[in-house]
Amino acid sequence: MSSRYHDPSESAQPYRDPTPLPDNVPKVQELGATSAPLKSAAFFLGAYCKDYSEDFMLCKAENRDPEHCLKEGRRVTRCAIDLITKMRDSCASEFEQHWQCLEKHNQEYYPCRKPERTLNQCMFEKFGLVKTIPGTLEGKTPIHEVRNPVFTTIQK
Amino acid sequence: MPVPWEALIPFGLVTAMFGAAGTLLGISKRAQNQGKPPRYHIDPWDETMMERDKRLTGHIRGQTSTPAAPEEFATNSEWYTEQTR
Repeated sequence: MSSRYHDPSESAQPYRDPTPLPDNVPKVQELGATSAPLKSAAFFLGAYCKDYSEDFMLCKAENRDPEHCLKEGRRVTRCAIDLITKMRDSCASEFEQHWQCLEKHNQEYYPCRKPERTLNQCMFEKFGLVKTIPGTLEGKTPIHEVRNPVFTTIQK
Repeated sequence: MPVPWEALIPFGLVTAMFGAAGTLLGISKRAQNQGKPPRYHIDPWDETMMERDKRLTGHIRGQTSTPAAPEEFATNSEWYTEQTR
């Protein structure tokens, strides 16, 4: 009986976590968005969750131990879930179109400027969030606002 | 003098074979990537994000924008099986 292979997916009991977190650590709902929606919402997450992200980064700069920054990490996660929920409620179609376009182009921003423009417009109207690229030089237009960029896709 | 059309058959054959090979390769790549073009220039960040996508959706190219992760996400990480000491 012990030599037979028991596939875990066929077991009668649900999976039991062998190393659960201690009970004094509050539980947090994890973010369920995958890479393309997150990349689409990246600059808005940066603008919306700026305080919590900075807290987390400063906390990590003090001490890289995972246990040290659990609280700040929970706050960042909750803020991200909040923004993704709001984006799906208000700007659902623009958001969906932008991240579907990103998925078709190796998750790069430059081929998807048109859906990005509509998404930025919607986010600005509904939430007042603006996409700003940190580090753009003074007087230079950010690349996402250039109307006729030099580097575009080869086809289409 | 009539056009030597038999001499153009090999050109046609080679073009058709190149086209068929390229098309089949493209179809195979798209089928492996759920109908989307394959990812290229994948760096370690993209690799870890694709592993996370696999944990969330079951496929490295699967995408979803649900805000809350499913229950399994808490425990389906490979770190649980990586302890070999």
